[in-house]
Amino acid sequence: MTRTVLIVDDHPSFRASARMLLESEGFEVIGEAEDGRSALIAVRELHPDVVLLDVQLPDIDGMEVAARLSENGSAPAIVLTSSRDLADLGPVRERCHVRGFIPKSELSGAALEALL
Amino acid sequence: MPVRGAWAAVALIVGWGFIGAGLFAWARRPENSVGALMAATGFAWFVGLISASNVPVLFTVGSLLGSVFFVTAVHMLLAAPHGRGLSRGDRRIVVVGYLVVTVAIVPLFLFLDPAKEQCDNCPENVLLIEHSDAVVGIWGSVINVVGLGLIVAVLLSLIRRWRRATRPERRLYAPTYAAGVALMIALIAQLGLQTAGSEGSALDVVFIISVVPLALVPYLFVASFVRARMFQGGAVGELMARLSEAPRPGGLRDALADALDDPSVELVFWLPERGRFVDGRGHEFELPEGDPTRDVVRVEREGDCVAAIVHDGTLPQTREHVQAVGAAAALALENERLDAELRAKLDELRNSRERMLQIGLQERRRLERDLHDGAQQRLVSMALNIRLARSKLNDDPLAADRLLSSASDELESALEELRELARGIHPAVLSDRGLGTALETLANRAPVPVELGELPGERLPEAVELAAYFVVAEALTNVAKYADASHATVQVARENGRLLVEVADDGIGGADPGRGTGLRGLADRLAVLEGRLEVDSERGRGTTVRARIPCG
Repeated sequence: MTRTVLIVDDHPSFRASARMLLESEGFEVIGEAEDGRSALIAVRELHPDVVLLDVQLPDIDGMEVAARLSENGSAPAIVLTSSRDLADLGPVRERCHVRGFIPKSELSGAALEALL
Repeated sequence: MPVRGAWAAVALIVGWGFIGAGLFAWARRPENSVGALMAATGFAWFVGLISASNVPVLFTVGSLLGSVFFVTAVHMLLAAPHGRGLSRGDRRIVVVGYLVVTVAIVPLFLFLDPAKEQCDNCPENVLLIEHSDAVVGIWGSVINVVGLGLIVAVLLSLIRRWRRATRPERRLYAPTYAAGVALMIALIAQLGLQTAGSEGSALDVVFIISVVPLALVPYLFVASFVRARMFQGGAVGELMARLSEAPRPGGLRDALADALDDPSVELVFWLPERGRFVDGRGHEFELPEGDPTRDVVRVEREGDCVAAIVHDGTLPQTREHVQAVGAAAALALENERLDAELRAKLDELRNSRERMLQIGLQERRRLERDLHDGAQQRLVSMALNIRLARSKLNDDPLAADRLLSSASDELESALEELRELARGIHPAVLSDRGLGTALETLANRAPVPVELGELPGERLPEAVELAAYFVVAEALTNVAKYADASHATVQVARENGRLLVEVADDGIGGADPGRGTGLRGLADRLAVLEGRLEVDSERGRGTTVRARIPCG
């Protein structure tokens, strides 16, 4: 079954590239969001299997978005991404439904699949 | 008759005392109404004495106006010591007082025949219509009760003022107050006796007793004036002696406070470079203009303003005395002024260093954000596009080609952004080829046509070149962003050991250097080099940014 993905990132160039890349590797990108607030709404409306979530967003921090999504029992799988190094981002809270982290430049369908 | 003899002597002493002391005080301080009121009291006193005349008209006028001097005396007491107008309550007392002794008293005289009031030798009352014991009794009591009320009000006002007065003020008020209060109490006694119906020599005796403190007022006034002159002369001498000793911090202010007998004295120093006054710690000080409680006396030395003495304006220190004290201390003030100037400079340096630090931190944050949002994002999407292109190379070479070409565009943009950032950190052309060439490249890149005037051909100290470069860069950025100008001119010239940098445009003007961090940051950058920034930006007249940087 094709997995559905929501891409959350404030840079349109990254969203476009990520969409092409993931779609070419068999994912279905069902939506994009450019900040935390619209990400929360999109998850509620679209029910994606996976949320590819940038850590740094203009309004709500990506970590906070992950925590809020996790409060809901049937949360999607969350994969964090950033152009920064994982070590620079600080610890991820344990109760979050975060499956893992992929640096932006290393994003691929295979890398995403490996975390699910 | 012994009472009459004593009375005549006292009468002359009182009258001439008031007139003499009043005119003396009035001549010296015409702006102070106390002198005029004192002289008026003397004249009113003599008007009252006319009642001793045998001529009926004079007798009537003298008797009618015989109490005016009481009110002028009260007026004077309430106006003392500054004579600068009365409070609203005091004004009411005085107005009612004058009305009572000039208007309200007239009906009494229409119905009072002196012959029927145990004054067989008195001349005729020319105002008399018909004698009426009832009118005289009732109206006389009414006037006495009003008078009593006024006297109590004066007493209360004097007591209130005494309680509010500072210690030096009390020292000053003391003689006048003592006389005033004694007078009021004697008057109350007299009015009390009159209302109670006492008559004859008992009243005369109380009247004479009540006049004694009043008679003393002008003499006490002259005495306190002489004492103040002596004190002031002594104070200047003592100040000179104190100034010859080794000064300690704040010692000069204390010495001046002692010499002026005013603990509230503030000393501020003139900084001609800034065109402002600063206090001893070098902090800017706004002179209290239009504050009646604070007076300012400027101290000059060799024609230049050195300092200002801000002192209690409610004390009777004459301006001349404060000036004399200031002149005696002028040299010491000049020394402290230099100290204050140094402290002000240090203060400014400390502030601008702190702001520089803040600007540095802000710039680093901005740099990180620019790198992250700009070049880094472009490189990320390039990496993704290249990976995608590789995966499509065999199946869909056309798509792969499109992806690679877009990656190549991203690379170009990333390189341009990095170059721009690097220039913002430090323009390489400046260190390699000097200010003139660096300004030419700035002018070429500016979106608004820039005309270059005189530019320095020789190399200058690196810090000076960098500061001048950033002045022009920031000014041209502002021209492009806000000025709505058709062109700008840039000139850099050496002038008396300073580099004068000028950027002018023909735009809308109205730029405010206080707002926005750009110009403020420039001013701080320049302050570190002891340079100055000026912005001329009248609305509709374009903007001229001028920087002067010392360059040896």
